[in-house]
Amino acid sequence: MYKSAKLKVLGGKLLEITLEYNGVIKKATITGDFFMYPESALQDIEKSLVGTKVERTEQEIAEQISKKIEGIGVTMIGIGVEDIAKIVKMAVEE
Amino acid sequence: MKWRVIELETRNAYSNMAIDNAVMEEVRAGKSIPTIRFYKWLPSAVSIGTFQSMANEVNVEECNRSNVSYVRRLTGGGAVYHDSNGEITYSVIAPESLFPKNIIESYKVICSWVISGLAILGIKAEFVPINDIVVNGKKISGNAQTRRDGVLLQHGTILYNTDIKKMFSVLKVSKEKISDKFIESVEQRVTKVVDYADVKQDDVYFALLKGFTKDKEFEFGYFSADELKRAEELEKEVYSADSWNFNR
Repeated sequence: MYKSAKLKVLGGKLLEITLEYNGVIKKATITGDFFMYPESALQDIEKSLVGTKVERTEQEIAEQISKKIEGIGVTMIGIGVEDIAKIVKMAVEE
Repeated sequence: MKWRVIELETRNAYSNMAIDNAVMEEVRAGKSIPTIRFYKWLPSAVSIGTFQSMANEVNVEECNRSNVSYVRRLTGGGAVYHDSNGEITYSVIAPESLFPKNIIESYKVICSWVISGLAILGIKAEFVPINDIVVNGKKISGNAQTRRDGVLLQHGTILYNTDIKKMFSVLKVSKEKISDKFIESVEQRVTKVVDYADVKQDDVYFALLKGFTKDKEFEFGYFSADELKRAEELEKEVYSADSWNFNR
């Protein structure tokens, strides 16, 4: 199943996601006009979502992403980890 | 710190992005000094942010039909239409250590150079975080920055006389939105130098040049042979390749 969602972060940037899932996420593609340093962290975040059960809560997903990127020193401008978690749930619940 | 300034020149989209990338590599290697360059795009082009989807943002068919190139940038941010006759782009490539560590603060520093240039034309502009420069609340310049291995690249566009209608024919906006009403509403949010000053493009360039070089030690220069050679490789292998441009 493919689902997409779009979120304009208040005071921030546009965040979009396309998920392929079947109970668990098989593939996640995140796009938008935000900034992230280092840029390669976005792929790490996308990979960290693979295998995630879609019924996980927004908070659990946010924690999972944070854990994946801790230590890399990621800076996001215009979006935050909580927005990514939110949009995952938005896509699933669309 | 001495800067190298490369005067306004025109290249195709792939070459423009490849040059920025190649200069970044040479600055990182300590073989090139901090660089400011000004450039235009021929043919006109759309550049998209590094995290954007080409298919979602760009009307590729219309671009192909009207000879407008499309390229993915190294930097984040949004899609920009680079009108051959209607905008000037700059790039600043330098060690990160020359700028505030805080990203918004560093945008503010470089954007102040644009603002200083516009002031010479009598245009009172201001920086609006995250990455815009506005005049009377309307955007006149968009800017995007990346940092890699200690090197900062910021590039930005200054709208001089951009064809808004053309802009929205190549950016992906549904047909019904390219109505006069929509264009009017965009014009309420976007502005250009000619709306405020009766000047030619050269005047805009020279004002920007002054704004960017004010209080700096600098010399006019050109790309090194190594930069040009590397840029040629990057143009061919990365920036003109679908594998890069359509990677999202």
